[in-house]
Amino acid sequence: MKSDVSKLDEVNRREFIANAAKACLGVGLFPMAGSYIHNNLKALTPGSRPATARYVIYLNMTGAMSHLDTFGPNPDAPDIQGPTKSIRTSADGVILSENLPETAKHMHNAAIIRTMSTSQGAHEQASYLMHTSYLKRGTIAHPTFGSWVSKLSGNINTTIPMNVQVGANPAGAGFLESKHGPLPIGNPASGLANSKVADYLDQSRFGGRLAMAQKMNQSYLSRYDQKQVRAYSDLYKDAIKLMKSEDLKAFDITKEPEQMHELYGSSNFGQGCLLARRLIENQVRYVEVSRGGWDTHDNNFESVATNCMDIDKALSALLLDLEFRGLLKETMVVLTSEFGRTPKINPRDGRDHWPYGFTAFLAGGGIKGGTVFGKMDKVGRNPEEGKFVDPASLNATIAHALGLPLNDVQYSPSGRPFTVAHDGKPLFDILA
Amino acid sequence: MLLFCLLPSWGQNAFRTFKTDTGQPFVGRVLSYEARTFYVQGRNGNLFAVPFNKVSPEDQKYLIQIAPKLPKGDPRKLNSKDGQSPAPSTEKPESSSTSENNDVAPKPSSPPKPQFRPGSFFAYKPINLGQDPSMAVEAEQVASLPGPDEPVDFDKHILPIMAESCQSCHKAPYDKNGRTIHPKAGLELDNYNSVMKGNLDGTVVEAGKPNESYLYEVITLDEEEDMFMPPKGGPLSPEQINAIRRWIEEGAKPSTGGGVADMSKGISFHDHVFPLLEEKCLDCHGEPYVKNGRTIHPKAGLRLDTYEWIIKGNLDGTILEKGNPDGSTLIAVITLDSDDPEIMPPKGDPLTEDEINMLKQWILEGAKENPSDTFAPPEKEDVVALDSSDKKESIIDKLSKRLNAPSKPQMEAAQKSGALVSLISVRHSMVRAEFSSGPTLIKDDAIGALSGIKNNVSHLDLSRTSVTDSVLGEVKKFNNLTWLNLKDTSITDRGIKSLSKMPYLTYLNLVSSKVTDESIETIAGLKSLEELYLWNSKVSKRGFQDLKKALPDAKIIH
Repeated sequence: MKSDVSKLDEVNRREFIANAAKACLGVGLFPMAGSYIHNNLKALTPGSRPATARYVIYLNMTGAMSHLDTFGPNPDAPDIQGPTKSIRTSADGVILSENLPETAKHMHNAAIIRTMSTSQGAHEQASYLMHTSYLKRGTIAHPTFGSWVSKLSGNINTTIPMNVQVGANPAGAGFLESKHGPLPIGNPASGLANSKVADYLDQSRFGGRLAMAQKMNQSYLSRYDQKQVRAYSDLYKDAIKLMKSEDLKAFDITKEPEQMHELYGSSNFGQGCLLARRLIENQVRYVEVSRGGWDTHDNNFESVATNCMDIDKALSALLLDLEFRGLLKETMVVLTSEFGRTPKINPRDGRDHWPYGFTAFLAGGGIKGGTVFGKMDKVGRNPEEGKFVDPASLNATIAHALGLPLNDVQYSPSGRPFTVAHDGKPLFDILA
Repeated sequence: MLLFCLLPSWGQNAFRTFKTDTGQPFVGRVLSYEARTFYVQGRNGNLFAVPFNKVSPEDQKYLIQIAPKLPKGDPRKLNSKDGQSPAPSTEKPESSSTSENNDVAPKPSSPPKPQFRPGSFFAYKPINLGQDPSMAVEAEQVASLPGPDEPVDFDKHILPIMAESCQSCHKAPYDKNGRTIHPKAGLELDNYNSVMKGNLDGTVVEAGKPNESYLYEVITLDEEEDMFMPPKGGPLSPEQINAIRRWIEEGAKPSTGGGVADMSKGISFHDHVFPLLEEKCLDCHGEPYVKNGRTIHPKAGLRLDTYEWIIKGNLDGTILEKGNPDGSTLIAVITLDSDDPEIMPPKGDPLTEDEINMLKQWILEGAKENPSDTFAPPEKEDVVALDSSDKKESIIDKLSKRLNAPSKPQMEAAQKSGALVSLISVRHSMVRAEFSSGPTLIKDDAIGALSGIKNNVSHLDLSRTSVTDSVLGEVKKFNNLTWLNLKDTSITDRGIKSLSKMPYLTYLNLVSSKVTDESIETIAGLKSLEELYLWNSKVSKRGFQDLKKALPDAKIIH
């Protein structure tokens, strides 16, 4: 429906875009004081009550961690407990398995949900449900929780994405804009890939090349002024901003002293946690670190003990480090898995999948320390105390602490409504 | 005039508060039992069939105890068997209110009543849910009509008439052969609430206006009319019609038996407060239920269906303050002007003064569940004190109350230097200011942009910026600062000296700064501190020990 009038507008629009592109590019390349003005007043929209946490470090144990041998041992049920013993912790009435001695010293800042339950017993579907609060289906890709955090809260720090994933393949932003999707970091030691400016290019030549690329894009940009097209050039702008900013150094863990590396342990997971702490200091809101190797259908007890050596060291180091820097009160650390493992030990000395009654560990900001929610019965099937908490409710609890609106509806391109935690209800028993 | 004898033919059990296994209390007395179902009668005459395994363990013990003394069988059937006299079931009470005899002579004008052989289905005298079986027995034997000077009592006089003549068709839905039989015309007449509620076409009783009350109209029609009530069994006696007329004239009030008189002994939650709430509030503030596949939640997330829920309140807080009726939200909303949109209950008449006073008195006495509970009025809390850890919120709240939130242009001006200024929450006027993007570019002058809103700033994050000691000279003017982060800055003791008088500061982060033991004195003077972080600063172990002694309540991490 193009009339002559709108054709005139089109010319003006082209010019406008051209000017805008140059202006933005200018700021990105030559950062000066005042160049990072927050024009988006929508960032951190206040909720109806003060948020108790600002950042989330989500430690994802992929493969289904055996809850009975880690965070949810049940000494009253020796048949299902197997050889793993329990130890006391720094919080009264809270026990952990003997595989986590260092973490036990931090339980006064942490809470455990022992009655998590999910409807999915297969890894992919359960992981999807845990991350998005929706069931996996062929009709739409839902955004992960980190993407929701990025979308609903806006950027605290304009030069760094709010959602970073260290380790496994990231699930994406779903139907939200791709800038909310997780920034993938494969190997924490190598930092952010492809982010170093080539040495042979100095500033002005770099700027010149970018400007030329922008000029060649102009006609296309003006003809197809759509979200996805703009997203492409936005991606370039954001990348340049990040490359030119201080925050790039946050991704480089070699800047940390040797003792820090030792504190966290030399494992990939430990280094990932160290990177997570650095990113939190630079105000990235959601960092997820994954660790696999938990699918112990065979030889469960030995494998879990070995795995726990890594995560115990890293988790306790993370909590200690955050506390010493004064960041623990504002950072919520979540450690969970997509489901648990069977109480009954199978003939291969392993445990199989168990979606009923597994555990989640939460610590730090917004959490009432030293609390345990729920207790499973002697068979490990039904809650003896408390009630089942589904993944959507876990996500709702985290969102509530962050101050995100649980009823803010975002629409997919097809017009379907979605919320950050679907139908989950926050678990107020463990929230401060 | 024979007073109603409420004793049925078997022993009277006392009213007792039962608890279901889901925690719901209900008040009733046990009449009889059949297999594992106990028949319990509520206060307003409703009859409930309670399965044994649905009550709490204490109640189960009680039931086991009294079971040997209880008759067996459905009380309705039991009653009819006992009360089965040679006279047929559809008789009417004698018109003379002074009669004491048990014989009832059928009215001359009505056709002869069918005689049923004993044991026939039709010979049952149906006692409907919502009716005291004993009352039903007496209904046909004793005239229950009010004398000329006596005020008409709904339970005593009107309900038996309805039980007799109306409830065979106009009773609560019941199951028959697997089908649910609904009351005729959707009108239930088995208890006061249903009578006053009417049906979908409207109310059948207009208080004070019998001539405008449909109920009165249909019973006074000519017998040949279509809408004449009752359609079977002949019209009501003139005395009964008169009783109903008088009742409506006097305002169609419910029975007040028991309630008012007992209040002199002290207000009991179960006897006085809860029935009132049940009647007026539970339609909207009851427990969540499923309707058409959707779960309907109580309004405002506030449940009032058990004592615990009433005390708990909802996410916004509690509705009562024990011992302080004037500070209780419950009293506040029921005493609003009747045209205030926030008045509770929003539909129907506001609570009467008696009811409001009763609630006030109950709260004043401590909002106890049982009159025997002890209640000590809370001691006056010193809200201004800054020494307990969960008062941090009330500091923010207090500070917020004194100020208005900054306006949009003020916020925009504050953000000119690259700060991100965000409100703590929509209910507070305090803001958090931080320099998160490109912090190393932030120098001391950046703080100038915040001076417009300096009194609103409660959280200030200067971490990783390039500020120097002089910035703290400006920061000390932020009078309402509670949270200050100077991590990774080059702040030294010179700057810290400026912070000697921060009355509300609770969090101070000096990690990786250049602060040494020289600042111990200044920091020790900040008595409001709750958290102090000194790791990787130049403060020594000894300095840390000194600070621990000076600030014993604070959490200091070194």
